[in-house]
Amino acid sequence: MHVVIMNGSPRIKKYSNTDKIIEAFGKGLIKSGATYELYTLSDKKEWDAAREAFYKHTRILIALPLYVECIPGLLLEFLETLHKKEEAGTEMAFILQSGFAEGCQLRCGEEFLKMLPEKLNCSYGGCLVKGDNFGIRIADDKQLDQMLTPYEKMGELYGINGTFDNEESRKFTGPERFSLPIRMMLAFVFKTFARKRFDAVAKDWGCIRPLDDRPYQQTL
Amino acid sequence: MAKNILIINTIPNGETMAKLKELSAGTQNNIDWVDASALHISHCIGCNYCWLKNPGICTIKDDYEILLKKMVHSDVMWVISETRFGFLSHSAKNIFDRVMPLVTMYLHFKNGQMRHVMRYKNKLDIGIIYSGEGNQEYLERWCERTAINFGSKSIGVFSEDRVKEAVSCM
Repeated sequence: MHVVIMNGSPRIKKYSNTDKIIEAFGKGLIKSGATYELYTLSDKKEWDAAREAFYKHTRILIALPLYVECIPGLLLEFLETLHKKEEAGTEMAFILQSGFAEGCQLRCGEEFLKMLPEKLNCSYGGCLVKGDNFGIRIADDKQLDQMLTPYEKMGELYGINGTFDNEESRKFTGPERFSLPIRMMLAFVFKTFARKRFDAVAKDWGCIRPLDDRPYQQTL
Repeated sequence: MAKNILIINTIPNGETMAKLKELSAGTQNNIDWVDASALHISHCIGCNYCWLKNPGICTIKDDYEILLKKMVHSDVMWVISETRFGFLSHSAKNIFDRVMPLVTMYLHFKNGQMRHVMRYKNKLDIGIIYSGEGNQEYLERWCERTAINFGSKSIGVFSEDRVKEAVSCM
């Protein structure tokens, strides 16, 4: 099985969480005996080759971060340049990831991805949905391993099954909504440790204003 | 009380905006028209600098900053868009993707949803007017979900032949 993987994140490859997810997923794919080629759509120089691969191959996997309840504008711009495949038989599957952890946060984006393949004369090969990935960018190696290893397993399974339309993939999302005690615990974390952690990252990035500053409050 | 309404057009031919202008003449509200199709507005590059490095300010120096400043002082934002795959065009989606400076890095639960804490106090309701073959049901769902991110509500989604209805909601 050969898979054309497209990284639909607009973030440059070096800082792309989606790229790290694809790398782990790809490891699993290779383990299963499948092969893949990767196109990074944040680099418009790769668009011609990505389009060519889309028309030539029959198994397309687009990995993307959720952007405002749907796909990122840049990925939409790329998709707008594609025309319908002349022959049927191509399957499009997706890896949809986000920062927010609960599965319910990604469903509106997933719904769009369900409708998309048909518009390009392709069939839908399912969507691997998972949130809680914001931390990939600021994680240490051990945390990173913990976050990415599950994707390797899913890559292997996808290599074997050729679809995300199965129970393992659905379970991968984790909880649709957190239970009330977990939410209460999280709400406390958000007000305390998470704020401190974000403030620390900001300081590290050279930020000199409070994170909730209002630079445009006075402008009219 | 008169509302501050921001109307952003992303359709190059401007026909839908012209129709809307005609129908909304004489309104008590303050309408601020922006033809974004004539502006240079990039896509969001997901750098997170507006949350963690230069809070509230987008790192991309293009015409979008004009819109951001207007959004902070508006009550309602309407976006006029063409449709692709039944959804908004990338030009309109970019307008929404770039709103990240309006929210902070901090998180909380609001109305049962995990959300970013808003940076400013104004509640920016959202409406969509589209041309072409939009998936009405999906666009409505999307607009409602998106409004949750603004801590506001969806005013509605209208195809261009229902512009009159949209005006009555303004």
